[in-house]
Amino acid sequence: MSDTPLLNVEDLKVQFPTRKGLVEAVRGVSFSLGREKLGIVGESGSGKSMTGRSILRLVSRPGIVTARRLEFDGIDLQRASEAQMRRIRGQRISMVMQDPKFSLNPVMRVGDQIAEAYRTHQKVPPAEAKRRALDMLSAVRIRDPERVYRAYPHEVSGGMGQRIMIAMMLIPDPDLLIADEPTSALDVTVQLQVLAILDDLVTQRGMGLIFISHDLNLVASFCDRVIIMYAGRIMEICDAKNLAAAQHPYTRGLLNCLPSIDGDGGALPVLKRDPAWLEHGLEHGLEGGR
Amino acid sequence: MSDGAMIEVENLNVVFSKGADRVHAVRDVSFRVPEGATFGLVGESGSGKSTVLRALSGLNPDWTGQVTIAGRPQKPKRDKAFYKLVQMVFQDPYGSLHPRHTVDRILMEPLSIHGFDNPDRRIEQVLGEVGLGPAFRFRFPHQLSGGQRQRVAVARALILEPRILLLDEPTSALDVSVQAEVLNLLQRLKKERGLTYILVSHDLSVVGHMCDELAVMNHGAVVEELSVERLKRHAPQHPYTRQLMVASLGYDREAIDKFEDFGIGG
Repeated sequence: MSDTPLLNVEDLKVQFPTRKGLVEAVRGVSFSLGREKLGIVGESGSGKSMTGRSILRLVSRPGIVTARRLEFDGIDLQRASEAQMRRIRGQRISMVMQDPKFSLNPVMRVGDQIAEAYRTHQKVPPAEAKRRALDMLSAVRIRDPERVYRAYPHEVSGGMGQRIMIAMMLIPDPDLLIADEPTSALDVTVQLQVLAILDDLVTQRGMGLIFISHDLNLVASFCDRVIIMYAGRIMEICDAKNLAAAQHPYTRGLLNCLPSIDGDGGALPVLKRDPAWLEHGLEHGLEGGR
Repeated sequence: MSDGAMIEVENLNVVFSKGADRVHAVRDVSFRVPEGATFGLVGESGSGKSTVLRALSGLNPDWTGQVTIAGRPQKPKRDKAFYKLVQMVFQDPYGSLHPRHTVDRILMEPLSIHGFDNPDRRIEQVLGEVGLGPAFRFRFPHQLSGGQRQRVAVARALILEPRILLLDEPTSALDVSVQAEVLNLLQRLKKERGLTYILVSHDLSVVGHMCDELAVMNHGAVVEELSVERLKRHAPQHPYTRQLMVASLGYDREAIDKFEDFGIGG
């Protein structure tokens, strides 16, 4: 792990005003990220996606994002102008969304979309962009890049669509990739193949990766470190390989309620939620397990 | 042939479209499920596992082969008595409940179609059985969480007192903690009512937890039928099943390079 973190987040809060007052989706999250694979795990509504989106300032109004510190590679993301943010988004930090069906332009050939992502950030002739896009398609292990380049999004399968998304996000060579449930719509084998692509890229390019997922086992086996979130707070940060030995009752509860192939079909332990978890998270990035 | 088999399927074939678009979605699938058992259908997307379920449930009348349910051979078109015997729970609790009907109306409809008496008492009872109190009776689906909606979907299936439940990925849209609650509910109801289940899932751990027997499907055909004991010994025979098993154990960089593409006929 490198010494200067790529990303520093301190006391991040995301709030939404409603008729019943402010709803806090993220309540004081702090962590730092080096050139590593960091997993954020939580159930729906835990604030894991909002944490990812607020790093790119993608939380739209009326959502309110505040943080004591939100710093990427020395840049204060809270103070950056929209123009600066546009240069950061895609080129320095990019994000893969969950569902390729809703993230690709349905009336544009996928190859042209990838080439466009490259040309938005680099001044290159179209032919050069096309060549790069084709290279990228083979890098994400698409067997027939020429054919896929010409395809429209509805002509490709879910797994291929997800690889196309990843190709598009990686072509500007970002320093940090935020992947929000990038594989949860895919079959297990395809899911692992897509993760292997990301893994190799992190290793080869020294990229940082934030991997947002609800799948504890997958994150434990794939990431270096894991953040466990509940109700907008961090319950625990631990090394992924030690997740099985996690201490926090919420993490333990989540691990216990997973069915297993070796299970006997008896009643699964049901997660009992402690109201105290809503009040106390892990404070200010004082991380265990390092 | 049928010694206590609740469901018997022989040479089931489902073909969609004709000519160049022809898709042979289910190929010669045969299996039998004893009464009171849970049978798992496992496979990846497009393997035909849900199509088998839709043919069994009567949702898709375009199939060939023999289907015998509770000793009675079934034709593509089913009568009303069939739906009292067999009910289905769908994958997506957000899509399978009418958004503008209250829980009460959702549960009342099957009762009035089948002319049940005492609807009030039945609705209260079934809500209690699935772990929702009477307070939920006059809510709309949008006022419920995903797990509560799936409980309503189970209640709607159970209210006709069926003997068979067809479960199409009943927990894959739910968080793991909620999944545990719904799986426990299904296990308890099965014990209490002696139900027979067919459970379609892509998740081997859910199948290993719930089922007695399972069939693994790929490209419309059953590649392997095995007992759960065999699965638990991690000793499936077909390489496709073994690959699914490895994949379900989590991320392993080296194992992934060995993954194969199992084409048609594999």
